[in-house]
Amino acid sequence: MPATDFQESSSSPSSFGFSILSRRRDQVHSMESTHEATSQEIELEAFQRQVAERFQDLAAADSHELLSIPWIRKLLDTFLCCQEEFKVIVMNNKSKLSRPPMERHISDFFERSVKALDVCNAIRDGIEQIRQWQKQLEIVLCALGNQRSIGEGQFRRAKKALVDLAIAMLDEKDSNTTLAHRNRSFGRHSAQKEQRSFGHFRSLSWSVSRSWSAARQLQAISSNLVAPRGNEIMSTNGLNVAVFTMNYVLLFVMWALVAAIPCQDRGLQTHFSVTRQCLWAAPILSLHERILEEAKKRDRRNSCGLLKEIYDIEKCARHMNELTDSIHFPLTDEKEREVKQRVEEVRRVYEAIRDGLDPLERQVREVFHRIVRSRTDGLDSISRANSHD
Amino acid sequence: MAENGEEKLIAVARHIAKTLGHTDTMTDDILKIFSNFDGRLREKLTEKLSEDGVEQTLNALDRQISRYISADNPIWSNSADAAAFLGSVDQLIAAVRDWTPLADDKSISSCLDRAEDLLQQSMFRLEDEFRTLVERGAESFDLTLSESTHPHPDYSDYDDDDDNVFADEDENFIPVAQQITDYDIVIDALPAGTIGDLHAIAKRMVAAGYVKECSHAYSACRREFLDESFSRLGLQKLSIDDVHRMQWTQLEDEIEKWIKAINVALRILFPSERRLCDRIFLGFSSAADLSFMEVCRGSTIQLLNFADAVAIGSRAPERLFKVLDVYETLRDLMPEFELNFSDQYCLSLRNEALTIWKRLGEAIRGIFMELENLIRRDPVKAAVPGGGLHPITRYVMNYLRAACRSRRTLEQVFEESIDYRKGDDQVLSSSSSLAVQMEWIMELLERNLEAKSKIYRDSALCSVFMMNNGRYIVQKVNDNELGTLLGEDWIRKHTAKLRQYHVNYQRSSWSKVLGVLKVDNSSTSPSGASKSLREKLKLFNSYFEEICRTQSSWVIFDAQLRDELRSSVSGSLSLAYRNFVAILQAVPDFGKNADRYIRYSVDEVEARIGELFQGTSGGKR
Repeated sequence: MPATDFQESSSSPSSFGFSILSRRRDQVHSMESTHEATSQEIELEAFQRQVAERFQDLAAADSHELLSIPWIRKLLDTFLCCQEEFKVIVMNNKSKLSRPPMERHISDFFERSVKALDVCNAIRDGIEQIRQWQKQLEIVLCALGNQRSIGEGQFRRAKKALVDLAIAMLDEKDSNTTLAHRNRSFGRHSAQKEQRSFGHFRSLSWSVSRSWSAARQLQAISSNLVAPRGNEIMSTNGLNVAVFTMNYVLLFVMWALVAAIPCQDRGLQTHFSVTRQCLWAAPILSLHERILEEAKKRDRRNSCGLLKEIYDIEKCARHMNELTDSIHFPLTDEKEREVKQRVEEVRRVYEAIRDGLDPLERQVREVFHRIVRSRTDGLDSISRANSHD
Repeated sequence: MAENGEEKLIAVARHIAKTLGHTDTMTDDILKIFSNFDGRLREKLTEKLSEDGVEQTLNALDRQISRYISADNPIWSNSADAAAFLGSVDQLIAAVRDWTPLADDKSISSCLDRAEDLLQQSMFRLEDEFRTLVERGAESFDLTLSESTHPHPDYSDYDDDDDNVFADEDENFIPVAQQITDYDIVIDALPAGTIGDLHAIAKRMVAAGYVKECSHAYSACRREFLDESFSRLGLQKLSIDDVHRMQWTQLEDEIEKWIKAINVALRILFPSERRLCDRIFLGFSSAADLSFMEVCRGSTIQLLNFADAVAIGSRAPERLFKVLDVYETLRDLMPEFELNFSDQYCLSLRNEALTIWKRLGEAIRGIFMELENLIRRDPVKAAVPGGGLHPITRYVMNYLRAACRSRRTLEQVFEESIDYRKGDDQVLSSSSSLAVQMEWIMELLERNLEAKSKIYRDSALCSVFMMNNGRYIVQKVNDNELGTLLGEDWIRKHTAKLRQYHVNYQRSSWSKVLGVLKVDNSSTSPSGASKSLREKLKLFNSYFEEICRTQSSWVIFDAQLRDELRSSVSGSLSLAYRNFVAILQAVPDFGKNADRYIRYSVDEVEARIGELFQGTSGGKR
């Protein structure tokens, strides 16, 4: 009977697993143990619904919001909320989770979440990286922002900051070739020397070894992540669907972070396969698709992160570079107006980053701490439930 | 007259400004105040500037400065050049400052543009010189700390020249090549002269508004130095995943290296960086704080991430001791974190350290929980032959004894979470959390042992098993921190339990034998008595034989306990047997043939009892 139920329910696109449970609940309504089972089922269904609603909300973002710092923060908020709700489920089901087959599922989830911790740390490094770029923008503003009149000196100063910015933003693989073109107003140092110190500068920003790879880490989180089968859903009362859901949320959030923020060996090839029957599958898959499309765009393909603000940095730096290349002194009034306009653009980008990065970093840290906490609490309570058997 | 008076007034104003203003800035400010006071004064006071003088000054500065800016060799390779260049830059900065308020004047404005251009070029050159000095300065030092050529005490308030004041201090006599055991030193990462030069450059860059470039160049170079120091200390960059996948023995080595590295970092490297920063950015505290944070942030995160990975890692009980080391290391370094990272920029690093320290405490509590699980789940099925000491007893007791050597730390760890056993009904009140924890583990062990004793079918063997293990437990508890924690009552209670096991043993194996030897000589006829005595003797022989055969393979691991047990058995038995034999021999028709029936002499009984508990192999443990 469970098998038929599953097949039936899988034909309706918006429900997965839970329709069986609700149907069975109706069937067994008169039985004695109904009350407890029902409250658990309600809890699990509510979890599915809330995850779905939150991701629908995220997916409602227009193309300007998507992958912006505020959007990433909302994504992390979503993760934290899901994590909290999941934690309650774990606490309420500790004795079930301490026995097979759920024991294996939950320890598997905790293993994956430990892998996510390294992603969080890499993202923190990435945020620090963006902060270094922010400093160069600040110098541009300092040079051109509050000046009585804008002279060649200020332009050279801004230009140098822009060159430093461009080098810092380059992907590792391209960095060496472009370094030779590094343009200084005067040069006593050989290009080689600058390359050396620059190389060090970059490596110092990462707290993990040079061989660490975000793509590999995502691969590890996603490996063997398969949707639960119908008969197991029945035998676990749908508990394994909740664990699968949380696994998937974890994977997607980490993947999106890696997509948005610079880190070592960003690869977005992680395979997302989830049956559309999960309530939350549609919004997550649509977000996945939109982010991948963004990554394929010509002007973003070689970017070091899909974060909207990074794109803004690239754009305003490019505008500024074009402007500084086309400029002749003395400045015409028209040029001066253009400079002012560009400086304003830089200022807007700079301010968005300045105001956004600190709370973002704190939130990434919070996600890290929460993952650790929920894992520790989960393992403790399950092991305690085990010992009282 | 009026004209004359005005001239005088202006001259006086200039004089006042010059005298009051100790620095150029102050003079300038005072002049500005005068100028604002009266418009006519402004004209007069600045009048001299607005003419050819401006252009002449600028041309002169341009000539002096351009020569240096285009120089191929580092300016700072010659101190006279450096001083001359700095002098010119000072004049240029002052000129720009003086001319800026007059920029409305067209001719001054164009001079100002040229001056600012020159200033920018000077700053680029200064930035390069700055970077070179930091790099060369660091290169001139051997980075290996134990060979550091300039270890000297941390009297950072004093200049280098004052150091000889402390020549009598012990620290100055630390042999240079020795391993550092005293962390209370600060190294000079750069030669004093270089520090002075760097400060001189930083001062100009700050004055000209190039503080960001200066701080950036500084922190990039020093970060590199720190990173190199770290790899010299053998520290790798490890992800949490790396740490988790690592073999425990390898991780133990990494922990050793980490302990050394974090001590060197927090006690020597970071304070040295702090001092260097404060000296180079002397007078610019915000730039100093920011640069310091930029220098130390990455290394600190690397150090903390490792500790975090250890805290999050496996909670296998054997890890306790190393995790305790990491916990204690961080705990002992908390004052250093406070000290080094006291400014606003570093606050988050300090909090991070605190969080991870607490997490290590949690990990330690988790390890104890794992120990509990290990005891609970220790399989009951396999009985130790001969009722001897069970490996779990040996393991747990030695583990707890070793753990209690860190009693104070453990007390701290368990005090931190009073609610650790919240909701658990086994909580024992009125002692420290650690004592509660220890009593709880002992109780689990005893429960487990009791369950194990049940698989012996012979209840005497069951008692022997409990006696052996109980004896071991009490022995291990006595005279150490574990005993102090559990308390005298606990020990007394368990010693009493041991006596009870002893009594149980006697009762269950020897009461039957002793019962046989009891002679009731009141109500039987002589012939009946004789017959019954013969029966009794036969029974005794077979019981005694059987018990000796069985129990000679049993084990009492402790020699003293073995002797006690044997002598208490032989004490009660040989007396009863002696009496019995005496009665036998007194029976008329029996006495003659007594030797035919009496298989054991009293001495032989005692000898056989002396052979009990030798274990299966007959060897003694």
